[in-house]
Parts: sequence; structure tokens; C-alpha cells
Amino acid sequence: MYYFTKYFIIIYFNVLMVVSGQVFGQANKTISGNVSGPGGESIPGATIVVKGTTTGTATDLYGNYSLIVSGSDEILIFSFVGMGSEEIEIGNQSIINVSLTNDGADLDEVVVIGYGTQRKVTLTGSVATVDSEFLKDRPITNSTQALQGLNGIYVNQSSGQPGADGASIRIRGVGTLGDNNPLVLVDGIEFNLRDINPNDIETISVLKDAASAAIYGNRAANGVVLITTKRGERSEKMNISLNSYFGLQRATFLPKMVSNSVDYMIARNQAAANEGQSVVYSEEDIEEYRNGSDPDLYPNTNWYDILFSTAPIQDHNLRLSGGSENVTYSMSLGYLDQKGILVGTDSKRYSINTNVTYRYSDKLQFGTIISGSFWDRNQSSVDIDDAVLTGAGRSLPIHPNILSDGRYGDTWLVTPGHNVFRHPLAVATESMQNNKSKRAMINMFVEYTLPFEIKYKATFAVNNYDDYNHRFIPEIFIYNPKQPDIPKTLRFDPPNRSVQKINNNNIDQSFFQTLNWDKRDIAGKHSLNMLLGFSRESFYRSNFDGYIEGFLGNELTELNAGTINQLVGGTSNESKLMSYFGRANYSYKDKYLLETNFRYDGSSRFAEENRWSFFPSFSAAWRIKEESFMNNLSVIDDLKFRGSWGQLGNQNIGLFNFVSNININQGTILGNRVVPGSAITALSDPNISWEKTTITNLGFDLSLWANKLDITVDFFNKVTTDILTRINIPAQVGNLAGPITNLYGMSNKGVEISANHKNTFGGLNLRIGGNIAFVNNNIDYLSGDVQYTTNMFGNIRVIKEGHPVNSWYLYEAEGLFQSEEEVNNHAFQHAATAPGDIKFRDLNEDGKTDIQDMAIKGRTLPKATYAINLNLEYKGFDLSAFFQGVYNIDIYPFHNVAFPLFNGAGLTKDYLENHWTPENTDAKYPRLFLPKRGTLINSTNSTFWLQDASYLRLKNLQIGYTFQSELLSRVNISQFRPYINGQNLLTFSKWTLTDPEKNILGQDIGDYPNAVMVTLGFNLTF
Amino acid sequence: MKNYIKFIIMLMISGSVFSCSDRFLDTISTDQYNEANWWQTEAQAISSINGIYAVLRNSQFSAIQQLREENLTPNSYSMGGDSPLDVGAHNPGNVTRVRDKWNACYTGIGRANDFLDNLDKVPMEADLKNRLKGEAFFLRAFFYSNLVSYFGGAPLILEAPDFANHRDLPRNSRNEVVSQVLDDLDNAVSLLPLSYSAPGRATQGAALALKSRVLLYESRWPEAAKAAKEVMDLQQYSLFPDYRGLFLLENENNEEVIFDVQYKTPEFTHGLDVIIELQINVAPTKDMVDSYLMSDGLSISESPLFDPQSPYENRDPRLHQTVVIPEYMYRGGIVSDSKYFSTGYGYKKYTTYKDDIAQPSLLQSEINIILLRYGDVLLMFAEAQNEASGPDQSVYEAMNSIRSRVNMPEMPLDLSKDQMREVIRHERRIELALEGLYLHDIRRWEIAEEAMNGTVLNSKGEVVQVRSFNPDRDYLWPIHEITIQENPALEQNPGY
Repeated sequence: MYYFTKYFIIIYFNVLMVVSGQVFGQANKTISGNVSGPGGESIPGATIVVKGTTTGTATDLYGNYSLIVSGSDEILIFSFVGMGSEEIEIGNQSIINVSLTNDGADLDEVVVIGYGTQRKVTLTGSVATVDSEFLKDRPITNSTQALQGLNGIYVNQSSGQPGADGASIRIRGVGTLGDNNPLVLVDGIEFNLRDINPNDIETISVLKDAASAAIYGNRAANGVVLITTKRGERSEKMNISLNSYFGLQRATFLPKMVSNSVDYMIARNQAAANEGQSVVYSEEDIEEYRNGSDPDLYPNTNWYDILFSTAPIQDHNLRLSGGSENVTYSMSLGYLDQKGILVGTDSKRYSINTNVTYRYSDKLQFGTIISGSFWDRNQSSVDIDDAVLTGAGRSLPIHPNILSDGRYGDTWLVTPGHNVFRHPLAVATESMQNNKSKRAMINMFVEYTLPFEIKYKATFAVNNYDDYNHRFIPEIFIYNPKQPDIPKTLRFDPPNRSVQKINNNNIDQSFFQTLNWDKRDIAGKHSLNMLLGFSRESFYRSNFDGYIEGFLGNELTELNAGTINQLVGGTSNESKLMSYFGRANYSYKDKYLLETNFRYDGSSRFAEENRWSFFPSFSAAWRIKEESFMNNLSVIDDLKFRGSWGQLGNQNIGLFNFVSNININQGTILGNRVVPGSAITALSDPNISWEKTTITNLGFDLSLWANKLDITVDFFNKVTTDILTRINIPAQVGNLAGPITNLYGMSNKGVEISANHKNTFGGLNLRIGGNIAFVNNNIDYLSGDVQYTTNMFGNIRVIKEGHPVNSWYLYEAEGLFQSEEEVNNHAFQHAATAPGDIKFRDLNEDGKTDIQDMAIKGRTLPKATYAINLNLEYKGFDLSAFFQGVYNIDIYPFHNVAFPLFNGAGLTKDYLENHWTPENTDAKYPRLFLPKRGTLINSTNSTFWLQDASYLRLKNLQIGYTFQSELLSRVNISQFRPYINGQNLLTFSKWTLTDPEKNILGQDIGDYPNAVMVTLGFNLTF
Repeated sequence: MKNYIKFIIMLMISGSVFSCSDRFLDTISTDQYNEANWWQTEAQAISSINGIYAVLRNSQFSAIQQLREENLTPNSYSMGGDSPLDVGAHNPGNVTRVRDKWNACYTGIGRANDFLDNLDKVPMEADLKNRLKGEAFFLRAFFYSNLVSYFGGAPLILEAPDFANHRDLPRNSRNEVVSQVLDDLDNAVSLLPLSYSAPGRATQGAALALKSRVLLYESRWPEAAKAAKEVMDLQQYSLFPDYRGLFLLENENNEEVIFDVQYKTPEFTHGLDVIIELQINVAPTKDMVDSYLMSDGLSISESPLFDPQSPYENRDPRLHQTVVIPEYMYRGGIVSDSKYFSTGYGYKKYTTYKDDIAQPSLLQSEINIILLRYGDVLLMFAEAQNEASGPDQSVYEAMNSIRSRVNMPEMPLDLSKDQMREVIRHERRIELALEGLYLHDIRRWEIAEEAMNGTVLNSKGEVVQVRSFNPDRDYLWPIHEITIQENPALEQNPGY
């Protein structure tokens, strides 16, 4: 302790002297003054920094400041959010008053677009942007979540599993029946958002219309997301910043199941009786249970409580960045450790991102970005019906968890439909599945300025992805406490004590070159920018897997420790793209703007005659505010009308679909040996080619009251034709899967509105904004066909001309039958229909309810998505809140938990308390029934079970405080900001069985729930 | 500076050189053939015929399905009540099995048609080519005969799958389909060998046996008898001496098996052992157990040997070889009363277990499922011959060899045609129990409306299920409503 103190004091004084040496080493003087705004009002909290140092201060309540500087050749930078900045050389002054004007920076705000950047004011297309400020300190574990809140983009995070919690992204609705994912480019290279550390993101631009996206032609039909990563600044001293947070998570919603065994058993018996089946649990057994007290024999287990718990999360990111006259650099390291709220799941991510550019001369610069991310993820090895999540919903209260002797328990009761108890906790803890994945990318560019100011840029990138999945199925024994010496083995598929290892390997290479010519103010009026480019990309995919059985126990899990039945498999394929593209921009006095883009793409996915296609776009904008007749309307700062039209393509289907492939995995046993077998299993269409999307966009941007209010409105019509899809064909055609063919047409029409307001009241800075997007999806053309999707109970969804894609197709429920008489007077449903069952409407009034009475009754796509953003700053405190909402979307889960007693599962407390009985006729739900093993009359697909899954969610709430004091700057800390953050804190929705943000098309609720997260963190910048 | 210009120009030139080649976009599949490069070698042709055999492993034709279809007879019942078909509560929408059966049949038919249309392209010796054609004809006939048995008429498609032309063909009549089936089988008979060096493929005997079955199901007695006689005259098959042994793993591919679906661990297995043991979907009924005769050849109500205190003693040996009875030895231990909770009885046929050896439960079973066996041929012959010309000597010989295999007494002499018919029907039920054939028998004999209307009892005589059968409708399965939705030209079966 003594030594510690001694050394500490020595070090402290040394640091103090060094620091003071910097401050006091030269002739220093005090500068003071006042900072005011455009209306003459004083501005508290404005910052003053000595350029190139971390020395600085802030104005007080009256706008006054005082700062000690070391020399007269220092430059002071005065700035305040929303009001730009001013640089003033100190010179001989000791009193410097500054008047800041409105954020003229708005005029120079630059937006990242395809193959370059453009000033926002001259943008003719529809682009939504996010900068790193908005993402700051939010506990985003997967970068897909970073897109939530952008106008016109529906981001749905349907799983909260660590390492596998990506969200689906839909830009301007669903445009195709195939892959709807947008093209994601990171620093120009196609990349997977999961492998980008959100802390490394500098900007996100989403190109929504054809004008902005056409330059990416064949992959841009679903929109393009451009991400740039952080880089250093020239002539900036090294900045070190550390961002860390620690937090806790728990599930947002978990179903409340009946966990009292006697209640469950009585309900099950009642359902069997209602179905005309024999009673399941005898009266003696139920009595024994009522009177019993041994928890091993008479458990009342709540499985969701056992399997879900509060889990910790932590994330640390360190960044060094800076630059000299010629070099800029940025290096970041990240570490994320997230334990899962479901037992047995967790993930870790390590990431690195380095970005170096070197400016050799005015004409030549080059650079490289090297980034890597490594994920290590664990979960249970058993899936599908034996999965832990399925088990959570299926396991009954009569199933014991762990017996008092420590072994896993089983029940002594016999339950038809559930005689094999798949102990979910045993499965979660005893099984092993580990996935390690690594992505490494090297991106190099060189930029050279040729004569006539033509800039040549070449970029070459290699993106390599590898993952290893290692999966071991354990041997698990469960014991019935009434027969404690007889172990029961849980059986799985693949079988117990087997290991499978899969390796996936992808290598993507890209090479593109551009020539860019930019000339401003030709004859003081015209500006012209031209771009010409060529790109080549190849995508190589391969995988390899090994499997073996015959392990002697659960301890060793490597392939070589197995002994019998080895199986092996693997495949590889390659696809390629080649394109020529170009763009021309013309601007007259920055008032009239014209732009055209084109791309000519060739893809290896189609037969030779159909490979190439041309995608053009045209757009124009009129900055009407610049016109002389608008000069008097001073309330309007800027008003721009935009219009665009263009065509884009989608080529995202499987490979080799234009030929009829022979499936050679139809082997069998003949002559006691395995023999190879083959057959065609799907038809093909040799004429397939691109899907084409034509987008027309009209919009305007409006700024009012000194940029205090910004409004953007866009009307769009996105029409997709030649949609590639596999059509259903009748089974008599060899029961083959139908061919993938260009056939259908779909359109998405809508409007996006966003408004942002910023203001200052005394010391309080306020920014509030909201956006809402309405999208109307319609199937325009299906050649008179109707495509049905079915589940085990019949038709459930339909794709039909004149309606949105994947509409819910159901019987119409009209409530419950209350009496025998009512049943008899109603159209015929089923011989076993009785009071308490659901009444279905006889749509065509033919006296019976059958498949002709089904109709479109709901939507799987939201009518509107919206978001609200709020930011408050006051004296170093900041508060930000972000709401996200989805309106008018329906969900139809069935299966375990959603239906009572489904196939041997249990039922929710809600159902137990609210089902119809002769005594409780005013009930919400029909009488107890067996949805899978009975007459199926109440489980028929109908509007009865259709639910509204609209929601409004407080997605993020953050409160922080920025310390900025002299003391801190003496130890070179320019900023210290602790904060507390809550994610998914509040959700308002009518659907409460699970999190409403889920996979809408999913048939059951067995998805990994999202988490409510509360984190405490800090930013430290040196 | 000049160096850098040179460098950049080189980069651009190399870039443009790379750019000019359209060949860059050519890719070929590394692991899939397509129709352009198929039908070229003998190995590919054999692989294609094997692909048709693979369809037999679909659970609609072999393991599991034959058990579930036994529930459509008074022999067995499912405690979970998972199929409305069992109790007559079915309609065109609520039984997926109905659709699965239709689809599985057309999978096989489509592959056989594709094979027959394309085989001539492949260069190979004529004998092999003919044999392969014979196999394809047999398999196609098998799948169409299934369609006829369950649904009646069906679209008769004999060319390789062609979406444009085949998609809206209506159902052909039952007679048209049967006539094609018989044609295919006659072709097969002329092309197939008597046997192969290794079992599993279709033989001449298999084609004749299937022909006999199809004719029998159509009640064409003289032709059915003739086809069955041809099988017998081949002298290729005989009864396996041990009834239980016939269905055990160590005796696979014995002299009684005419055609079976093959399985092998670990690649292709089924879960029959597990399903039977856990009574998922299947359990023998009291009615079936009671139908077994006493060892003197009389029924339990007539025989003096019957002792209500030990009702399972002195019974037809096939009872204990087909059904597990509580308090008897099985798998090395005495079976407890509560082990088979559905009805008290359990299935034994088609498990891999022996009575006296304790064996752990087998997760994946590789026991072959027999589709055609000599015992069935003898019974078919006897039934057809009896109907065609009365109970003559050949009928007695056939029936007695079935009886003597299990040491049961021979048929009583001087039976009338009607009496012999009852005896044969009863013997069919016993001999072929749990092999998935009885449901076709009760339908073609038109006794289903009594047999499937009423209660199902467990070993204690308690009612466990109530069934109903609508004779105007239920003799045929409905065409699933989704199937009709896909092709509205298909007509639904009457009554649905």
C-alpha cells in the first residue's frame, strides 16, 4: 500500500508537470468574450476549442467564456449544435465575441451515394441517411438493427438470440416473391451486416428510389444500403476513444402457461371428453396428485421460468484515429460478450477495423481498409421438434425438472400425444453446438487525378468468410420417480452420441474502376459531373461436412472420438457479375438539377442468351426557393421538388435454375447395399431472366423558419414485373416442384413523410422528429393463377391478383355456438359441432361451410411503419428517445401454446380461465378441444385466431451526462460521458402472447424472444 | 511522377483486358447433372431406376403406413385419436394422409414415366435395357394400383411429366386405370428375370403376384386364380417354416418373400420398433385377439379348450407370434399389465425383438417391409379359385399349407363354397394381420360397414373408441380439397 501510494504520487506529479508544461510552457494569456446566436441572444453551452488541441471550454449561462491559451498564433474554434462553427485566430485580441449563424453547414452537408458523395441540396433521388450520432451508445448487437427508424424502411428483428439476432430489412415494401433483402455495401463492397461492428459505422445511406439506386442495377431492386466506416481526419491529433457498457437483459414477453398440474389434467380430460375420446388421466391419478406433496412425483413445473432468466451483456470498443498532413488512420478494436436469456445460449464477438489512407501528392492517394470480425456462438445442438424453444412451449406442468437426487426427471403419468418427454433443460445444458465464424476483408483503393481533372479510382477487395459449426448430440437419461432404476433415453435425430462438423467457406472478389469528372461553376452557372465505371465480381461458395456416431459417452466431442457410421458431404459453386455503369449530373445555378444513371449488367445465373440487361434512370429537381419570385418568402429556407424514374433488377435466385437438374440423392437399398439413385424433382424454365423493378418517385424537401423545421415528402410507385418464383403445379405432374419462372407482377405504392424540428429554449436544445411511411402492396399480375400456402389445417395464405402478397386466407368466424338449436339452424359444419364451438360463416350460402367459404381476411405486411425521435440537451445532460411502430399487420400463430393442448402440449392461463363451458357462455375462447388429435373443427384456419400485431415500441431511451472540466483536460481527457440506456422498455400492442416484433409468417411462437436491455456505459475520449 | 502514370495506365489496361471477356460469366455446376448431360451412360440409367425404388421407402408404402392403415380395420386402433379417418369423421380437408398418398403415388409414376421415355437414349446391351424396362413397368403398375385401391379412378398419365399438357387432365375411370396396370404387369412379366443375385429388385414372380392381387381386388376370380397359380408354378418361392421368424431381422429376404422394401442401418432406417413399443398410433384390439382360433381349429366360443381364466392358452400359435399378451414372456421378461396402456395388448410382428432375449430398445430399425409374400399368394389363389370354381382340391392344398406351417389343424372337409369363403376370409385376417392389407379386404368384401361401425374394446372389455362408417361414401377415400384446388378438373368421389 505504501509503495502504491508513493508511486502514485510520483506519477501524478510527473503527469501534472508535463501537462502544465504544455499549458505554462509558453507565454500564456486569458481570452474571454461572449458567444451569441443569429438573433443576438446569448448561447450557453457553446464550445470553444483551441484548434489542434484538447484545450477548451464552454460558455456559461450568459454566453460568456474565459480560456487560457498559450500563444497568439493559436486559433479558436467556436461551435454550437445547429449553428455551424467559426474559426478565429487569436492574434492580439484578448476579448473575442462571436456571433454564430444558422447552420450553413446544411448547404454543404454531403450524402454518400453510389460510387461517391453528393451535396444534399443537389440530390434528385430519395435517400435516407443515418449518421453515427444516432447510433451512438445504443446497445446494437447486430448492425441490421441500426436501420430502425429510417423512413420507409421496415426493420423487423424477430429473434433475440445472441449472434443470430439479425433483423429483416424491407425498403418500400415487399417487391418480390423471392429474396427481398436489399443490397448491402460496406465501403463499396458487398458485405454481411452481421459482421460489421456498429461502432465502426460512420454513415448509413439508404438509396430508396431508382434515381439513386440504378447505378447498382442488377441487385438494386430491393433498395441499396451504403455503409461507410469511420476513418481518421487529416491534421488531427491522435484521438483515443473508449466506449463501454455493461447491462442486463430479460425477455420482452413470455407466455403464461398453466403450471398447476391438477388444473392442467382436468382441462385435458375435459378436452378429450369434448372430442368424444376417452379420459386421459384417471380420477385416482388426479386424486393422488391433489393429495401428494413429493415434488418429484407431483411437480407443478413452470418451464418458461426455468428456461429463461436475466442475462448480462457487455461491449467494449477502443478506437485510435487521427492524421497528419498526408496520412489518415483509424484503428478500432471491439469486444462484445452477450449471454442469452435462454439457457445455454451466448455469443462473443471480436472485431477489428483499420482504415489508412496516404496522400502521396495532390494527384495521387491510396489507402486500405482491413477489417475482421470473429464470432463464437453457443446454443443447443438439437432442433426442430426437440428444440429447447419447442420444449418450453410443449412441456407440461406434470413433467418434473430435476429430481431430488439430481437426475433429470420424467413423469409417471401417461399422456397420449406426449409420451416422450423431451426434457428441455437437459437438452439445453447437455447438448453442445458451437459456431465460430470469421470474416476478413481487405479493401484497397488507389485514386489518381488525370489531366483535365478526371479522377481515376480503382478498388480491389477480397472478402473471405469461414464458419465452423460443431454439433454434438448427447446421451440424456431421464428417470421416472416411480421406477427410479429404469433410465429412459431421449432419442434424437441425428441420433445420440453423434457429432457433425460443417465448414462453410466463401470468397468474394470485387474489382471496380471509375472515372469521374467534376466541374463546378462553368461560366458561373453550370455544374457538371460525369462518372463512368466498370466492375467485376465473383462469389465463391463451398461447404464441407463430416459426421460420425458411436461416441462412448458425453465427454469427448471431436470427430476422431467417434467410432462408427461416418458420413461426409460437400459442395461448391461460383457465381459472377460483370457490369458497365455511368452517371451524369447537370446543375444550372444549383437551381435546376438533372441526373441520369445507367448500368449494363451481366450475370452467370441465367442462360447465355438471357444474361445481360440494361437499367437506366432519369431524375430532375427544382430548387424553387432559389427562384427570384420566392425571395420574399423568408419563412422558407429551402424548397426543392424532385422527380425520378428508373429501372432496377433482381437476380437473387438459386444457381442453375435454367436447366432441369437431376437430383442424385435419391439413393436406396437394393441387394443389401446402399445404391445411388437419381430423379428429377423439379421442373425448370430455360428462359428465365432478371426481375425488373420500375420505380417512379415524386417528392419535395422543405425547410422552414431558419431550418428549424425540415419536412420531406415522397410519393413512390414501385412496380416489379417478371417476378421469379416457383409456381405450384398439380401433383399429378409427377408430384414435381414447379418451375421457377418469370411470371408475376407486383407493385408497391406509397408515401413517406418525415418532419424534423430543432429549437433552443434558454439552455435547452431540443430536436424532435418523426416519420411515417404508408405502403400499399398489390399483386398486379399472376396470369389468373392463385397460389395457396397451406398448413396442416388447410389453406392459410394466398397470393392473388388484386390483393397484397401473402394475404391471410381464412374462414370467417362469427363467434361461438351457444346452443344445440343454434348449431342446427346454422349451415352444416361438421357432424361433431356442438355448443361452444366456433361458428363459421357460410359465405356462399350453400348450406355448408367448406373450402368455398374461405376469403382474404388479413395482411402479413404492415400498412404503415413509423418512428419518432426525441433529443434533449441541457447543460451537459442529454436525453434521447426513439420510438418505432408498425401499424395494421396481422399474425396467425397456431401450434404449441397458441392453441390449447396442441398435440400433447399444455395451455395458457388465459385459455384456462376464459374458455366456453355451459356455465361460462360469455367466454372469449371455444370449449376445450384437441387441435391436432381430434375432429379439428375449432382449429380450422379462421379469423377467430387471427390477431392484430400492430405495435408501438419505445425502442431506445438514453440519458447521459457529459463531463467537461478543466481537470479532465489536464489529463488529456476531452470527454467523459457516462450514460444509462434502456432498449425495448415499453411496448404497446394488442398481441401479448409473444413479442409482436416477430416473424409474421411463422406458424408457432417458438422464436427466440427479443430482450429488454438496460445498460450502463460510458464514453471516454482522450 | 512518370512512373506513377505508367502504373495507372497499366492498371487500366489490365482492367480492360479483364473486362472484355464474356466467358468470365460462364459457370458450370460442380455437383449436379442436368437433362442435357444425363441419359448417357449405363450407370446413370441404373441410378435412375434406383430412384424409382427409392419412392417405395416413402412412409405411404412401407414402414409406419401399414400400421396406421391397420387402424382402418377392426384389428387395431390409435389411442391418440389422431386421424378422423379411423372413426369416420373425415372430410376432404381434414386428413393430410389422403393428400400424401396421392402425391406419393404420382412421384413414383412420374419417375417411371420419365425413365421409360428416356431409356432408349442410353447405349447399353439389350438384355439389361429390357430388364430395366420391366422393372419400371412393375413399379408404375404398383403405384397406379395403389391409387385405384384407395381412390378409384385417377388421371392416367403415361408420358414423362409435362406441365403444360398434364396439369388439367381429369380422372380416368377405375377400369381404364386397372386395364393399364394389367398391361404394364404383363409387359413386366415378359421382361423380368426369375431372380437376381442380390434381393430387392422386381422379379417375374413379383409382377405375377401383384397382378393376382389387382385382379382379386377387382373380383375377377378366374384371372386372379390363374395369375396366382403362375406364381406357384414358378417354383421359386415357398413358405418359411417359422411364422415369427418370417418377420425377424436375421431371416430377411427368405424364400417366402416375393417383394419387399429394403432398409439398412444407418443410411435408411425407420422407427417401427419405437412406434410399436410406445404405441404411437397403433394397438391391437380385443376383437382381433378374440378372432384367433383355438389350437383345435375352433373359435373361442365353440371350442372346449377355451378357458376364460387363461384365455390365451392353447390358441393358434400365430396369436402370440403377432401380438404381445401381458403376463407372457417378451424381450426376456414377463410383460406387465400396464405396459401397453392403449388396449393392454402390443404388436409383435415387425419388431426386431425376440421373446426370450432381453434387448434394449432399438431407435432405428432396418427390418424390411414385405409387400408381397408367398403366403399371401396362396391365400389369394384359394380365395379366387373358390369363387371361380368352388372349394376344389387345389384350394384345400393351398389353405392347408398355410395351416400346417403353424401346426394348426387342416381345413374341415366338405365345406360349401360359402363356408369355404368364410374360412378363407378369416384365415386372411389372421395370417396377414398387421401387414396393412386387411383394410382392402374388408372394403372389397363390403363388410366394412359392419366391421367399422361400432365400438372398439380393450383387453378388459372397456370401450375405448366409437367408430362409424358411411357405406355410401367411405369405401373410397376423398380426393383432398387442395388436390382439387390445384386441378379443378378432378371430380370428387361421391358423397364428399
